[in-house]
Amino acid sequence: MTSALSLRGLYKSFGPTSILRDISLDIAAGTRHTIIGPNGAGKSTLFHLITGRLRLDRGEVWLAGENITGLSPHAIFRRGLARSFQVTSLFPRLSVFENLRIAGMRNAGCGHAFWRRLDGFAELAEQVEEMLTLLELGPRRDVAADALAYAEQRALEIGLALVGGAHTILLDEPTAGMSRAETERTVTLLRRLSAGRTLVMIEHDLSVVFDLADTITVLADGGVIASGPPASVRGDARVRAAYLGAAAEVLT
Amino acid sequence: MSQPATTLAATKSRHARQGGLKIALVFGLAIVVALIAPHLFASGFGLSLLNRMAIAIVFALSFNMLLGQGGMLDFGHAVFFGLGGFATMHLLKWVDGGLPLPVALLPLAGALGGAFVAVPAGWISTRREGTAFAMITLGIAELAVALVVMIPQWFGGEEGVSGDRSGGMPLFGFDFGAASQIYYVLAFWALIAAALMWGVTRTPLGRLANAVRDNPLRVDFLGYDPARIRFLTFILSGFFAGIAGGMQALNDEILTVSNIGSQASGAVLLMTYIGGVGTFSGPIIGAVLITLLQMALGTLTDAWQLYSGLIFVAMVLWAPGGISGIIRSHAPILRGGLGGRLLAAYLALLPAALVTLAGIIGLAELAYRLQAVRGGGKPGHLFGLAVSPTTPWQWLIPLALFLFGAALLSRLAPGARAAWQEAAAFAAGRRGR
Repeated sequence: MTSALSLRGLYKSFGPTSILRDISLDIAAGTRHTIIGPNGAGKSTLFHLITGRLRLDRGEVWLAGENITGLSPHAIFRRGLARSFQVTSLFPRLSVFENLRIAGMRNAGCGHAFWRRLDGFAELAEQVEEMLTLLELGPRRDVAADALAYAEQRALEIGLALVGGAHTILLDEPTAGMSRAETERTVTLLRRLSAGRTLVMIEHDLSVVFDLADTITVLADGGVIASGPPASVRGDARVRAAYLGAAAEVLT
Repeated sequence: MSQPATTLAATKSRHARQGGLKIALVFGLAIVVALIAPHLFASGFGLSLLNRMAIAIVFALSFNMLLGQGGMLDFGHAVFFGLGGFATMHLLKWVDGGLPLPVALLPLAGALGGAFVAVPAGWISTRREGTAFAMITLGIAELAVALVVMIPQWFGGEEGVSGDRSGGMPLFGFDFGAASQIYYVLAFWALIAAALMWGVTRTPLGRLANAVRDNPLRVDFLGYDPARIRFLTFILSGFFAGIAGGMQALNDEILTVSNIGSQASGAVLLMTYIGGVGTFSGPIIGAVLITLLQMALGTLTDAWQLYSGLIFVAMVLWAPGGISGIIRSHAPILRGGLGGRLLAAYLALLPAALVTLAGIIGLAELAYRLQAVRGGGKPGHLFGLAVSPTTPWQWLIPLALFLFGAALLSRLAPGARAAWQEAAAFAAGRRGR
């Protein structure tokens, strides 16, 4: 079986500073994979490399058996990979509904049509309404995205990645800045919506990590120091030393 | 479970139907206005005003398709207007020469001409966004003017190209020679073009243009190339600017290099911005008002360009949403019946505003006439007083009026703003409940 996502020897540096060195990783289709690591480990850079935001120095990225190295972000999206951002990135002047609808347009077959009514894509509108309910943003449907509360914006940020029906989804710290209750709701949502898809997420909240993840990769100082099922990562001495430290008691 | 969902869907479709009805109503009203207007303004001046308004509306709407909808500031939009106009003009000359085409259809040639030119121009400029895009359009505008001057065989050099709109075959007995007849042709195209441009805002590409305006990076990660969306929007905008240029060709029967130059590009930016870039109606309001102002002020004073510049600066500073933005920020207050409260606060500003305005007019007229008098012209009268711009003390009166008025305004303005904020908050609270 081919992996949903396969990273083969990725290297990236900014000027003389080496950010990522020889990252290789295989993520099986239909699993939930979490990437953890201390700040500055290169987690977000890794996402940027996979999704075409940044160019690789060396190495290859394969998505569902296809080499996507060097493709533009929109070309990668069209091959079934969607992502969210650590720093919320929405369409501030457009309503919540329009934000989600734009995210679903490519896979709904809207193309660049300027001769068809957008409202005529009934299935897309249905998908968006459904997502509004799942995100509990129904009452905020017609509010501009920049008028939303922070937690609502974070929920919409995740929604933009989920609505288009991509088979592989990368979420960069989806629960950052959320309260405990909001985090729990998000975990439930992700569990539900990741069924039948591959989910890769960067996450700091260890309870979320061990709750959701089928496999975990630990990134530290630009390299993979451990990768595998939660039980094995939990027991890894190098992981404890490099990253978990004071948080180690959470794991036992 | 399905119960709330169906109610929701029912509400949505009712909303959609009401929206559709409202649009049909607005468009119907526009047709009625277009049919009545030439009877209310039947004079030669009135008709020529209406004809210019129709052209300006289409041009400004096409400009706002870029600026308001797509976040692209095009400093050379008159290139598509003017070259569309030249395309129409050449076809008109062939029609005069016996080509069997109805003159009323010629703005379509302008549309094709505008779009045709927008393809290479957009191909270069839309690869960039923001300031870089604006700079490239400025360069393209200079290039286009230079080319037009360089090829007098096509563009007529200094004299331009002229044609005769009554030279074609008559349509239902009309030859469109009279201003009252060409009005209906221009009104027809203005309505069609406005309706089509409104339609585009409701399509996938129209919505994507909004998305690219707000956040091009995110669009890229949702499967669309932002540059491609800008490019397609740019071509469409050139298409509609070309219609306006074609209308201009039929109206004026002459086109020169000034129709594609930076002044024409500046004029459309001015009217669109003053009307308001945030709404579809904004450019229409701006086109109507500025055209009116230009022609009305043009009969009163030769310094009207000074005034439209001042209005522009004032709008950018204090009302960046334009006139439609002002309307939008007051609509809920008026609907909530709170207009009375606000009126008192605004009336308190009126004397100070009038004093300031008098000062500004005095300064502008003196400045303008200084030039005229030095050139040997007559100084003339202002507010019944003989004006002599070369005597220094005459400058002191308007200067004092202006400074006094402006000082008064800046003291009173916070009160009026507070009154507006209070009323707006009150109206919002009432609606919330």
